[in-house]
Amino acid sequence: MIVQLLLSVITYGSLFAVITLALNLQYARGGMINFGIVAYLAAGAYAYAIVTQEPPSGLDQYLFGFDGPWWAGMIAAALAALLFALVTGWPTLRLRGEYLALTTFAFAEVFHSLLLNERRIGNGSVGLSNVERPVPEVAGIAIDESGFFAVAALALMLVTLLVFHRLLASPYGRVLDAIRDDELAASTVGKRVGRLRLQVFLISAVPVGLAGALYAMITTLASPSLFTAEVTFFVWIALILGGERTILGAVLGTFGLVLFEELSRAVPFESVRAAQVAASVQHVLTGLLFIALLRWRPGGGPKGDRS
Amino acid sequence: MLLLQYLVTGIVTGCFLILATIGFSLTRRVEGFLNIAHAELLGVSAFTTWFLNTSGGWPIVIAALAGIVFTAVTGLFIGRVVYDPIRSRGPAVLLITSVGVAYVIGGIIDALVGTGIRTLDIGLPTTYRVAGVRITDYQLIVVALAAATSLSLALFLSRTRTGLAIRAMSANPALAASRGVDVRVTSRATWLLASGLAGLAGVMLAVVATLSTDIAFHQILQILAVAILAGLGSLFTVIYAGLAIGIAMDVSVYWIPAGYRPLIAFAVVIVVLVFRPEGLARRGSSR
Repeated sequence: MIVQLLLSVITYGSLFAVITLALNLQYARGGMINFGIVAYLAAGAYAYAIVTQEPPSGLDQYLFGFDGPWWAGMIAAALAALLFALVTGWPTLRLRGEYLALTTFAFAEVFHSLLLNERRIGNGSVGLSNVERPVPEVAGIAIDESGFFAVAALALMLVTLLVFHRLLASPYGRVLDAIRDDELAASTVGKRVGRLRLQVFLISAVPVGLAGALYAMITTLASPSLFTAEVTFFVWIALILGGERTILGAVLGTFGLVLFEELSRAVPFESVRAAQVAASVQHVLTGLLFIALLRWRPGGGPKGDRS
Repeated sequence: MLLLQYLVTGIVTGCFLILATIGFSLTRRVEGFLNIAHAELLGVSAFTTWFLNTSGGWPIVIAALAGIVFTAVTGLFIGRVVYDPIRSRGPAVLLITSVGVAYVIGGIIDALVGTGIRTLDIGLPTTYRVAGVRITDYQLIVVALAAATSLSLALFLSRTRTGLAIRAMSANPALAASRGVDVRVTSRATWLLASGLAGLAGVMLAVVATLSTDIAFHQILQILAVAILAGLGSLFTVIYAGLAIGIAMDVSVYWIPAGYRPLIAFAVVIVVLVFRPEGLARRGSSR
């Protein structure tokens, strides 16, 4: 029970922390509000599922299934997220602040609506189930699956964290800070603002796409209901909770929030209605926490660590 | 013929969207930020009216008025308690905070009402047929109310002292304050007005549609679409924008599956923001 809880906190905490880190890069360092980051995750998950699944048969409505190996699926996931970031990032380079927030939100909603309505991509609202996943074995002996995926997710998060940390501690990170603080000044000294902003979009999309592939493996499912705007807002809350501009804060904030969700899910309920009320109350508490944090802890998270 | 029917339905949808968006745009214009929680206020009003009407047995008109007043007061309360203290942090923080507010309101409605589909106790609508096109009396009410609201809002903003103060404040808050406009009173009047309009839209939603607790979220997408097409913060272009998006969504059903209706609204958002961020309004929106 405790082990199970711990494992799922590590697994989902790591997966969502990858998205929070991407958001941290985009918002806290790049100054860009992305309200559609869930779409990168969905693109990754669907790309993985489509590349690895068998060709359609029977009641399947999807058109493509390549029956590829898992690593091909992972590469496809990263590429799909990258492509989505490129397609949505390029036309929005001119937009700032709330306009950018709304456009990214709109792109994510359009993508969600496509996945939901276009059955030829992934069976529409049913989604793709029984997503293939690698069978973990060490020297021919099968090992515990949930443990394996927890380690995989953790590893993905740590790699993302290291790469982002190195990147932001470099002169490149200081250029991003300069653009966020004063775009005009940055472009006056010859920094190409539009190009850098697009780069931030692309760099942050790759790990989220990979997280999407892992998410599809872990849940063995890729369906539109997993990738709603709620995911975006969840990650935003985690980011604010951990505090902007700190990598450690982003990770801790996400783990804290996932732990809270898993704990409240572990509470047994007598009736469906009670469980439903509890879920609503959880929503209310999350919202209140969000409002309070934004008001009283503008810096948030551990102080001092600016990387 | 079918196309004409879709067109008429589109006009009704458009009129509803005008009602739903005008308060949102008013908030954007005077308070200077995008209030994502605006759509949840539609839910507050719709479910208050529903509760008073079905459980309380109140006549629909009185229940609706009570719902609207309750929503206006709720909106004012949230504005004073949540948004006022953080106004100096800028529109981005206010926007993100309003997501939190939407969570709180949505969660409360969910907890109190529960899942399932609700309808008001007002009997089935009467359907009129004009030249083969069907329209119900409830739909006609929506159109009439949208027209009446737009007209009275125009008169209010151009003829009354409070209305002029609101316009002055939206154009230039500092100048308005130095010319003797009471900024706090005007801000409160705006919250009451904007939330009351959301309340009216919520009642209309309850009248023409069936209610479920996730309804508010679907509305915010369309409200955003209309507000952006109109140009953020513009008030009267909302009328054209609302009709345009309402008609575009409903007429599109003629050619493509109905599931894509929301997608139409969002395709409009993307096209407008990428090519003409100031929207239909000629000038850029004032901050």
